[in-house]
Amino acid sequence: MNSIALIREFLDERLGVASEKVVPDALLVDLGVDSLMMLELMFAFEDRFGIKVPSDLENPKSVGDMVTAMDGLIAAGGVH
Amino acid sequence: MVRRRVAITGLGLVSPYGGDLANFFKRLCAGETAIRHLLTDDQPRPLSIPFVACPAFDADAVLGKPLAAMMDRFAQLGMAAAFDAWDSAGLPRSAGEESRDDWGVSWGTALGGTLAYEKGYRELWQRGRERLSPLSVLLGMNNAANAHISIQLGLGGASTSHTVACASSAVAIGEAFRRVRSGEATVMVTGGSDVPQAYGVARAWEALRVMAPGNAETSPSACRPFAGDRRGLVLGEGGAALVLEDWDHALDRGANIHGEIVGYGASCDHSHLVRPEVAGQVRAMQAALADARLAAGDVDYVNAHGTATAEGDPVEIAALKSVFGKRAETLPVSATKSMHGHLLGAAGAIEAIASVLALRDDALPPTINLAGNLDPACTGVEHLTAARHGAAPRAALSNSFAFGGSNAVLVFRAVRQ
Repeated sequence: MNSIALIREFLDERLGVASEKVVPDALLVDLGVDSLMMLELMFAFEDRFGIKVPSDLENPKSVGDMVTAMDGLIAAGGVH
Repeated sequence: MVRRRVAITGLGLVSPYGGDLANFFKRLCAGETAIRHLLTDDQPRPLSIPFVACPAFDADAVLGKPLAAMMDRFAQLGMAAAFDAWDSAGLPRSAGEESRDDWGVSWGTALGGTLAYEKGYRELWQRGRERLSPLSVLLGMNNAANAHISIQLGLGGASTSHTVACASSAVAIGEAFRRVRSGEATVMVTGGSDVPQAYGVARAWEALRVMAPGNAETSPSACRPFAGDRRGLVLGEGGAALVLEDWDHALDRGANIHGEIVGYGASCDHSHLVRPEVAGQVRAMQAALADARLAAGDVDYVNAHGTATAEGDPVEIAALKSVFGKRAETLPVSATKSMHGHLLGAAGAIEAIASVLALRDDALPPTINLAGNLDPACTGVEHLTAARHGAAPRAALSNSFAFGGSNAVLVFRAVRQ
């Protein structure tokens, strides 16, 4: 599974967001992701890819921002 | 001092029988038990106890997936019961033009999100996980149910949780009642929910030697309040809710009034953590009657605390005899826990509902497993071993007596429309 697939799965599971809306330009807040759900989403990435998201990471704004940030962390030391 | 009348305009629950409120009360009056045998898959020692579960409850279906995912099961049961009560009160879920700034929630739970914390321990210690979900605190906190109810119904007044062991929701209802009567709140959602099947919790109750034993065959009759062969209480999960409303407000909007809540009394035995005391229970009942401005002779039904423990049942009967004197001999009393079990923090709420419906429908539910089996130490009141119809009861008492010696008694009055 890649990063955007995880975001799609999470948003479908939690909010019923159609996967075609989860595109790089889409803003996470527009898709229904609030600050608490952002923590959950980051936790899902940590869990799935065995990474550690630094606590000072700036919250990504768009789906693309999130994918870039997570792909960077995965490349730098993901377990799986 | 302002003293407004308080109408009960909404009743709701997650029924252990799986049906709606009317079905719940019908089956209660039919003397049908909801108690079954619970066998878990815990290793190496599964739980094997009589228990009351709500297997038909589907949180995702009732609450929607996004909301259900934000809650532990105790909050899910509470939210579902609150929605049920709210809808039955004929109030829209979204606030319209009328301000709800002084409408609130007063909720009872003995265990809160204990199940969520237990899941966390399992993750960390059994499954070797290093971290927990960021939602864990919000799932586990005791005020999760009332917080979600306030958010979902747009209620801007006080939102509190009350943790008083087995009297939690009786206290929550009493405090809600006082808020409406004093004019501080126009509407209060109140009740309670609990989920006692956390492994550590059930084992802890077993260690106290107050839980009735039972297997698949014997569990349905495991809870026998006031009976000579009673063996203890039966735990259960559930959620039950009432909507309390300023009387004039209810009349103005043409609400259906199920009954009136007229009194609340609370006391502490102040003597022992688990050994109940007659004097403390008497104080609570007398305080409740005085608060209601009723005499003992005005009461036509008592929904007893009646857990079926060896020590508790005779003490409650002795307290009733002390409060009601000569009248006690003809005072109809029943312990509906014999059928719906002991819901801990939701017990006071489900029994308040049973009491209100008993008055409204002129049908007093029975204590089952008692006929021909009465403990001589529990004689002196009129034990209902079958439902009684047509007695036209005027007022009812609902007793809740908690470990810790905290006693709470609610008084309801029939409203004949």
